[in-house]
Amino acid sequence: MKRFADISLKNKIFFANLVVILIISAAIAFLARWILVSTLITELELRGIAIARTIAERGSGYILDKNYPELLSLIFDEAKLKERQHLVSYIFITDQDDKVISHTFTRPFPEEFREANLVPPGQDSSVRLYMLGEHAAYDIATPITQGIYRIGMVHVGLSKDHIDSLVSKLRSAFLGYISGIIVIIFVLSHWLSKYITMPISKLMRVADELSRGNFDVQLDLHQVRGGWEPHECPAFARDDLPCWHFDRIDPSMNPSENTEDELRTCRKCEFYGKQKGDEVAQLADSFYNMIWSIRSYRSRLHESEEKYRSLFYSGPDPIFVVECSSFEILDANPRAVEVYGYPKGELLGKSFLELGSENTAACLVSFDEQAGTQGSVFYPKVMHYRNGNKPFFVSLHACPISYRGRPAIIISSTDITEMIEKDAQLIQTSKMKSLGEMSAGIAHELNQPLNAIKMGSDFLAMAAEKDLDVPHEQIHEVVSEISIQVDRAAEIINTLRSFGRKAELVADRLDINRPIRGVFSMVGKQFELENVRIRLELSENIPHILAHDNRLQQVFFNLVANARDAINEKSETREGAPGGTITIRSYQDGSQVVVEVYDTGIGIPESLHDKIFEPFFSTKETSHDMGLGLAITYGIVQDYGGDIHVESREGEGTKFKLSFPAAD
Amino acid sequence: MNKVLVIDDEKPTLVMFRLTLNAYGYTVFTAENGKEGLEVFERERPPLVLTDVKMPGMDGIEVLKRIKEIDPRTEVVVITGHGDMDLAIKALNLDATDFINKPIQRHLLEQALRRAEERWQLALDDKDEITLEAIRDSAVMHLQGNLATQSEPRLQEAYEQVVAMGKQRIVLHFNKNASINGAGIALLTQLLLDAQKQGIDVVIAGLSENFRKVFDIVGISRLVELRESLEEALEDV
Repeated sequence: MKRFADISLKNKIFFANLVVILIISAAIAFLARWILVSTLITELELRGIAIARTIAERGSGYILDKNYPELLSLIFDEAKLKERQHLVSYIFITDQDDKVISHTFTRPFPEEFREANLVPPGQDSSVRLYMLGEHAAYDIATPITQGIYRIGMVHVGLSKDHIDSLVSKLRSAFLGYISGIIVIIFVLSHWLSKYITMPISKLMRVADELSRGNFDVQLDLHQVRGGWEPHECPAFARDDLPCWHFDRIDPSMNPSENTEDELRTCRKCEFYGKQKGDEVAQLADSFYNMIWSIRSYRSRLHESEEKYRSLFYSGPDPIFVVECSSFEILDANPRAVEVYGYPKGELLGKSFLELGSENTAACLVSFDEQAGTQGSVFYPKVMHYRNGNKPFFVSLHACPISYRGRPAIIISSTDITEMIEKDAQLIQTSKMKSLGEMSAGIAHELNQPLNAIKMGSDFLAMAAEKDLDVPHEQIHEVVSEISIQVDRAAEIINTLRSFGRKAELVADRLDINRPIRGVFSMVGKQFELENVRIRLELSENIPHILAHDNRLQQVFFNLVANARDAINEKSETREGAPGGTITIRSYQDGSQVVVEVYDTGIGIPESLHDKIFEPFFSTKETSHDMGLGLAITYGIVQDYGGDIHVESREGEGTKFKLSFPAAD
Repeated sequence: MNKVLVIDDEKPTLVMFRLTLNAYGYTVFTAENGKEGLEVFERERPPLVLTDVKMPGMDGIEVLKRIKEIDPRTEVVVITGHGDMDLAIKALNLDATDFINKPIQRHLLEQALRRAEERWQLALDDKDEITLEAIRDSAVMHLQGNLATQSEPRLQEAYEQVVAMGKQRIVLHFNKNASINGAGIALLTQLLLDAQKQGIDVVIAGLSENFRKVFDIVGISRLVELRESLEEALEDV
C-alpha cells in the first residue's frame, strides 16, 4: 500500500477509475462474448435442424416413392433459399442403408461423410464439426421417419466460415462499443480527478505560500464568491455595528461574557453565508474565509506587535524583561540603558536585584503573591541605583508575561526622582507656611523664657550694682531658673529647626508619639491662649512606624491647626462658651498604629467629606488659605503606606483617624 | 503703695517678678491666671496690678476690665508681648494706665513703677492734673497723672485759657508720669484738630517712650511736632 501513498491523488482517482472500468469491461466482454457466441451458434444449429426437419418432412414421400429428382429439387430449393445459401454449405440425404440418394454437392460426394455423423438411435438429431476440404462445416443429421421406421437421414452442412464471420462481426461490434465506453470513461475520469484535485492543489499552493508568510497571495478561488470581498461586510472595521464574527477577532473582548442575545449577526451573513456550488467550491470558500481571518489576525497581531515594540523601544520609561525565578534581566529597552547608565551588554544577564535595594526584592516577592490575582503590581517609590551607585527613585509596574517560552515579568520603572523632589518642595513650602502661621505663637512662646532670663539677669545686675543683701538661695534660684529657661528656649528652637528641615529621602523607624509631642510643644501653649486645649492620650510601647519625624509633625500640625480653626469657628458662629478641646490619641490596632485627632469644633458637613482631601479645596473663605493642608497631609500619610479617614458631625466635632502599618 | 499684684501664667516670670519687686521694696502677690488674680485683688486690694495680656482662660484684658469695675482708681499696667502695640492700645482704651513690653527691661519696669506711684500719689493728693504757664511766646500746658474721661472738663477749660492767652504756639508738656487712656487720646485729638483749625501750632514735649509709640500708632504724631523736653520745645521757635 505504501507504494500507492506516493502517487498523487489525481492519478489515484484516475487509475482507480480506469482499472475498475477495465475490469468491468473485460468481464462484460468475456461474459457477453460467451453468451452471444454460444447463443448464436446454438441458434444457427437450431436453424440447421429446422431446415433438416423441413426436408425430412417434405422429402419422406419422395423417398418412399423413390422420386429422387423431386427430392433433389427440394433440397436445392432449401439450400439456395435466399440468404440461406451462405449459411447452408450442403445438404444430402441418405436412405436407410446409408446410401446417398440425393445431395447438393457440385462435385462427387465425399464418401467419408456418408457414415461420419450417424444419429444414435433414440435421438432426433446430431451435430458434428467436419472439415470439408478447406472449409469446416457443422454437419447436422436428422433422421427421416415414417411411422416408427427410419427411412433415411438428412444431413445439412452449415458453413462454419459463415458462422465465424457472423461471430467475428458481432465480436468486433461489441469490442468497439466497449472501447468507446473505455475511452469516454478515461476522458471522464481524467476530468473528474482533475476537477477534484485542481482546487486542492491550488489550495495547497496557497497554503504553502501562507506558511512561507506570504499573506498577500492572490487567491483566484474567490470567483466562487462572485467577486464579493470581506471589506463589503457592513461590520468590517466598524465599531458601531458589532458583529460577533468580527468582534471576536478583537482579543480585548471576552466572548464568554456575552450572552447569546448580545451577539449580533446580519440576517443574511455575507461572510459566512454558504455560497452556491459543490463541495469543492464550498471548500474553497471556507478556505478563503480562513485565509481572510488569518490575514486579519495576522495584521492585527502585526499592528499590535509594532505598537508594543515601539512602546518598548521608544517608551519614555525603562522597561525590563526579568526572568521569574532568578530575576535575571533578559531584555531591556534603550531607555533603560540610558537611565541606568549600564551598557546593554552589561545590563542583560544582570540580576534585577542589583539595580535596587531590598525594596525591589520585596516588590518581586509580593509580585509572586499578588500577580495571580491582580495581573499587575504597582510599587511606588523604590530606590534604585544607576551605574556608579547613584541612587534615584522609581515607581515599578510589573506584570507577568511569557518570554521565549519562559515565565517572565515585564517591569517598567518610572523615574520619579523629580516628582519626589517636587513633592518635597511642596511639603517644604507648606511647612514654611505653617511656620509662618505659627510665628506669632512661637514668638510669644520664645518670649516667655527670654523674659524670665532678662528679669533674672537684671535682678542679679541690680543686686550687684546696689550691693543688695540677697540671700544665697535666691541667687541660686535665679541662676538655675535662668539655666532652665535657656534650655527651654533652645528646645523651642530645636523643635522649630527639626520641623523646618527638609526631610531625608529615606524614612526612619519612628515612635509616632514623638512628632505628636513635637507639635504639642510648638502649639500647645499658643492654642491654650485661644482657650483650645490639646489633650494627649498617647499609648506608650506601641510599635514604631517607618516615617519622617518632621513630615508627621507637618501632618499633626495641619490637623490640630484645622481643629483649632474649627473650634474657633464654632464659638464665633454659635452661641456657647469659647474654646474647646483637641484630643490626640495613639494606640495599636493589630498590625496598625493608629492616631486619632478629634476636636469639639464646628464639624464638616457630610457632603464635603470626600472633598476635604482634594487640593485647593478650602472652607476658610476669608483667609488666604490655599487649601493644600489636608491634601499634603493625605499625600504624606499615603507615602508611608498609611490611611486617613474623616468622621464628622456638623456642630459636634470632627475626628481624623490615621493608621500606619507597624514597622517590623 | 507697697502692695503689688502680678498676674502671669508663666511661673518663672512670677518668680523673677517676686524677687525683683521685693528688691524694690514691694509686697508682692502673684497669681497664675486671671481668676486667681481677681481673687487676690479682691482680698488684698493692691493699688498696683501688673497683668500679662495673653493668658489661657481669662486673659489680661478681661482681668483689666474686672479690676476697673471693682476699683477704677487701680493702676493697672499690662504686660504685652514683644512690640504688640495693638493689644497695648486695646488695653489703654479699657483704662489701663500703662503698658510694658516683654521681655521686661529693668529701667522700663522701674520707670513704669515710678510713674504709677507718682500717679497714685497725685490721685491721693488730689492735685491738679493740668496746669498752665506762659513761657516766652508759648503757652505751656503741663499734664500729669491720668488723662482720662474725667479730665475732659479740665482739659477743655485749660484749652480755652490757653487760647485766651493769645499765644500762637501751645506746648503740651507731659510729665513723665502722665498716662493717657483711650478716652484721653480722643480728647487730645479733638483738641489738636481744633488748634489746627485756629492756626495754632502745637508741640508735644516730654512724652514717655511708651506713649510716644502710642501717639505714632494712633496718628497724633502726624498732627503735631514731638520734642524730647520742654526746653527743646521752647528753643525751637
